[in-house]
Parts: sequence; structure tokens; C-alpha cells
Amino acid sequence: MTEPTPELLTDILGRVLEESAFILAEPDQEPPRWGGAVLRASIAFESTRGGTLRILTNPQAASEIAANMLGIDQGEEEARSSGRAAVSELLNVVGGAFLTRYFGSAVPSQLGLPDTELLAAPPPDAHRTCAATVRLESGEPVVLELDLEER
Amino acid sequence: MLVVDDSPVTRKMVRRALGLCGLEVAEVHEASDGAEALDKLGQHHIDLVLADINMPVMNGIELVEHMARDPDLCTVPVIIVATPMSQDRVEHVLDKGARAYLAKPFRPEALRDVVVQILGTQGGSHD
Repeated sequence: MTEPTPELLTDILGRVLEESAFILAEPDQEPPRWGGAVLRASIAFESTRGGTLRILTNPQAASEIAANMLGIDQGEEEARSSGRAAVSELLNVVGGAFLTRYFGSAVPSQLGLPDTELLAAPPPDAHRTCAATVRLESGEPVVLELDLEER
Repeated sequence: MLVVDDSPVTRKMVRRALGLCGLEVAEVHEASDGAEALDKLGQHHIDLVLADINMPVMNGIELVEHMARDPDLCTVPVIIVATPMSQDRVEHVLDKGARAYLAKPFRPEALRDVVVQILGTQGGSHD
């Protein structure tokens, strides 16, 4: 099995954003420069190798994702209050898609429960096997990081 | 109908999808885990359960197992609406008594097709 690539993460994140939230995201080769609070969602998985997937984004992008998932205006209070839950669910679906795409549907895999936290400042770089950044239609960034256990 | 998912966003998305796909559903109840779902099933007449698997307290597989053992609930069909999973896990869930599996993300038409397939009618009113 080859090592996962940023292209794989970009493809999975882009497809899930399109199918879950009807958002056409564009890949971005540059990692974002966070200007304020960062929403970080994490989910652990077990398969032939274990690991963690993380999504990092900002509250504005989270509201945009929630609004698109729920079919409401981004300015509505419900979009703002649902941002964290929307990113959590986005990661949940991304996790399932990653497990079946990377390990295959014939391999037993287990996904944990997503956990989210709103950080006042950008977190220090965590260990990661690879990462991908996409930009939403508004230009806000969403980063998907994979931390895969060593063989 | 009863939508069981720990994500409030997903519960709202399922409600929205039910409306978009043209299914007439008289009443949609919600539960955030399997235990709460069992409470709702005891309180309301439910024709169909749409349940996630990965939930705290009582997950979707435990819910299906519990319903299959309960003479009052064993005839209520359960559709698992969950993230993509391995084939053996899908088979495991169906063996436990779920009637169908729909992978997230799904299009409203896909939800309609599986609901119609399980309930056997289209355009009727369901709880």
C-alpha cells in the first residue's frame, strides 16, 4: 500500500464538501495564515494502521459550511450556531470516505467520534503524515491533516 | 419517522432531504442516540427509523439489536444512514436486523428511493 498523498486528501475533502454542502472548493497549495480563532476537529480511526484525521478552519468557514448544509443564509444565527457541529459532521463523513478509499472496503475499519475545539489562536504544527488545503467559494480555508501511525 | 443521529446538523439535513425529495412525512421525530430513540419509539407511533451508527451512549447497531429483540419494535424497519464503511460492517449491520444502508453523503433522491423501497409506497403519508 502506497503512502497517502495530499492529492488524495484534497480529492476526498473536495468531494465531501460538494456532496454534503454543495460547495465547490478549490485546492490551494499554500497553507493558510490564520488571522484569529481556529476551529479544530479531530477523529481517530483504526484499520490496518491507526491514526487521526483533523480539520482546521475558521469560524467564518464553519458558518459557511453549516449554511450550505442546512440550506439557509450564512447570516442567520442558526448558521453561526451550527458551524461547529457542521465541521464535526464534515470530518465524520471525510473519515468514512478516507477509510474506504485508502484501506479499501474489504478491510475492517473503525472510526471514532469526532471532537471539536475552538482555539483562540492558531495551534502549533502537529505531527502529520500529509495535509491538504482547499478554499471555499468565499475564499476561506479548510485544511485536512492526516496523522498516520508508523508501520 | 424517527431520525437518530448525534449530529444536530445531520438531523436537520435529513429533514431537509425528506422535504426536497417530495416524500410526505406526517411527523419527523428526532433522537440524538439509540437510548433516546427507544424512548421516542415508546412515546410515538413510528413507521420508519433512520439511524446513524457512530453515536455515544447507544450506537446504531445496539439500537437495531435492541429493536429486533423487542416484540413491539421488531417490525419497525430501520435504515442505517452512516459514513462509508467496510463491506463486512455493512453486512454485520444488515445481519443484526437493519433493512437497508445509505452512505453519507447522500442525495435526497437516494434517500427517497430507499425509503420507498422499504415502505413500499410513494407519495403516501408516513410517521
